[in-house]
Amino acid sequence: MIFDNKSKIYFKEKGGFKVDISMKMSAVDDAFKEVPPADKMIVFLRQHIGAETKPLLKEGASVSYGQKIGDDESGGLLIVPVHSPVDGTIDKISKMLHPISKKEESVVIINTKTENKASYLTPLDPKQSSREDLLKRIREAGIVGLGGAAFPTRAKLSSNNISTLIINAKESDPNVACDIRLIIEEPKEILNGIKLMAKILGVGKIIFATRTKEGEIAEFENILKNNSIEIARIRPNYSVGSERLLVKEILNKEVSPQKYPPDIGVVVHNVATAYAVSKAIHGGEPLVSRGLTFFSKDTGAQNLWVRMGTPIHHILRHVGVSPDAFERIALGSLMMGPTIPNSSFPILKATSGITAFTKNEINPYENSLPCIRCAYCNTVCPVNIYPQLIMEAEKRGDANRLRKLHVDICIECGLCSYVCPSRINFTNYLTGGKKRIRNNNK
Amino acid sequence: MKILIKVNKVDVASYDIVNPPYLHSGLTKNELMLKTFLMMLVIAFTSVIIMGLTAFIHLIIAMGVVLLVYGLIHSYQIWRGIKPTYESPASPLVTGMIVGLAMPIASPFEVTAGVALLTILVFKYGQGKYFSRKYLNPAATAKVLLLFVLSIMFIFENPLNLGMIFHTHHLSLNLFTAEGFQNSMWIFERESILGIDLSATLSLFFWQTHGWIGGACGVLVLIIGSIAAYWLKFKWRIIVSTIITMTILAVSTGLITGGDPILRIAFHVFTGSVIFMIFFMATEPQSTPMPERSQYIFGIVLAVLTFILQLFNVLGGSIIALVLLNLLTPYLDRIGIKTPYGVKKTKRGE
Repeated sequence: MIFDNKSKIYFKEKGGFKVDISMKMSAVDDAFKEVPPADKMIVFLRQHIGAETKPLLKEGASVSYGQKIGDDESGGLLIVPVHSPVDGTIDKISKMLHPISKKEESVVIINTKTENKASYLTPLDPKQSSREDLLKRIREAGIVGLGGAAFPTRAKLSSNNISTLIINAKESDPNVACDIRLIIEEPKEILNGIKLMAKILGVGKIIFATRTKEGEIAEFENILKNNSIEIARIRPNYSVGSERLLVKEILNKEVSPQKYPPDIGVVVHNVATAYAVSKAIHGGEPLVSRGLTFFSKDTGAQNLWVRMGTPIHHILRHVGVSPDAFERIALGSLMMGPTIPNSSFPILKATSGITAFTKNEINPYENSLPCIRCAYCNTVCPVNIYPQLIMEAEKRGDANRLRKLHVDICIECGLCSYVCPSRINFTNYLTGGKKRIRNNNK
Repeated sequence: MKILIKVNKVDVASYDIVNPPYLHSGLTKNELMLKTFLMMLVIAFTSVIIMGLTAFIHLIIAMGVVLLVYGLIHSYQIWRGIKPTYESPASPLVTGMIVGLAMPIASPFEVTAGVALLTILVFKYGQGKYFSRKYLNPAATAKVLLLFVLSIMFIFENPLNLGMIFHTHHLSLNLFTAEGFQNSMWIFERESILGIDLSATLSLFFWQTHGWIGGACGVLVLIIGSIAAYWLKFKWRIIVSTIITMTILAVSTGLITGGDPILRIAFHVFTGSVIFMIFFMATEPQSTPMPERSQYIFGIVLAVLTFILQLFNVLGGSIIALVLLNLLTPYLDRIGIKTPYGVKKTKRGE
């Protein structure tokens, strides 16, 4: 047992609201179990923020584990290649509803032949490699931010004039524990990744942001201390896991809406991204698998190591449950994960969790009541906006008012909905408002 | 909503598409209302001990009328297949309790019944239905309306017997001087507990046998109201700013006029109409502002208006002030917006 008193642990939010994280804590002691690849792997050609990649192979072609199957070198910094997670043949290149963009996007369906995991790329010696070589490898390995945003890692690491690197191990989602599990299982690989990132950025100051108390992961903390990496213990709070809020929490600096942390000399990377960087450079492994936490009330939380492109039904069967047992499945956490229409949807690079709901677990926001203007939503909002006033403006279609209320700053954390006594899902209005002002600006 | 897309395998399960989040804190509107009701129940119980059976009858009448109207409308809505406005009697129950506690003990029972009826029918159901939200505090507005109508009765010889709920002699009190203020306090000096005479100050703090039912023990309202505000996360900025402003005004007036500042606090802040109104009516969520700064402004202006109306002996001054402030809420919602994360620095060009 890593942590004591797990059932008593809560995240405490602004205004005194609490988020129960006992689901997360129950997963901490569960070691990663590897899920073998499915017979058919479904790999989206866009698994990052940025434009879609183009397929590099045709239907019927053979592919190897880790071989690049999608890329577009003309696309600039925001294009990240996609790799085959198995040895096999390309069965089909088709279109499928993307779980994040909700639009039809290209997928490569691969018939799996073997479970080979031999490195496809040649390992690099960081001492013999230039910054450009390392950045190129990070791109070629298809690495994106694994905390959920899927921002191209190479683009972030290409930033200049960076003074501080923050490694985000805060892991805020209330039912996801794959990051903390990775720290427990792979401390040295993570350290290597952090050092590589620091070398590429040329930073002197590295801060490891964690919510664990002192001594809870003793081995890893010793490694950090021995390598002069500062540990920032973040107060137990759900929303502070967001990149911008983490910068504010640690450095007391705010990042303006039109800018990013690198603009103020800070780069934030997820701890799992550091691991992926190390594997890509030291091990020559492209990003084709990751750790995630599967959670359902019936099964509890389980940490799994899954290849990208594995369909959900295959994972569910592997953990011993029928895909038909569930009413809804979210790719991600209880607070932010989008739901998928059916169990054929695959795991993406940014999928840190699978949350499954049985037919008995009704959507708490299904029968919402009229707003009572209790102001809980703006009290809890970590970025100080007014979800209720935004909802009113969005209902009226008032783009000017939405702009004045700064709907664009919303981080879609879901806390406003979580605390609403009338069970109004404000997130729908907030995302709608953001879209409205984007369209209005065009 | 089910979205089915073409898939090759026949054993693929289909799921509901729902937007996140999927987790809720568990504190629902019903629970919030029931907890508010429980807190007010403590105040009601104490008021009945202090004020006696009459207070109990007022409370029963107010809650009875409100629940009766709720029951009829709810049954009608169910019968016609309309989604009920209130999924349980919790919210109407709170309304009924507020009406009961906000009535002066000297009020005729039929006036209490009238206020309760107006509150639930016109200002709760009616306002919600025709304006999509409640801009005015239902109980306060119903009382103000009735007060206005009943005030016309001063032309009669014995208006109290006819239904006027406030004494006309209030108009002759002079609260602008120390002497006038002190002379006005005689009504509280008559209070006694177990045969022990209480000073006006102590009566106002602990044991008022006239005035609003809910304010019989001002200190208890302060304690229970504070617990409720913390536990149920009322708009506490309104409470804090109103109490502080009222206290400052009371002390300043006491010092300027030369009277006892503590008695001034006891009278201006702890009379039932003020202390109960601050905690349980001025925090009514729908008719009060959302932004934090606006809540402070609301509380300060409410205190100033109430204080002025008190000094001029305007009957029902605190609720008149509240209703006036309710009308300003849509404007206050626009002016007190906090600067969101990151925005200030952009404006400064950092």
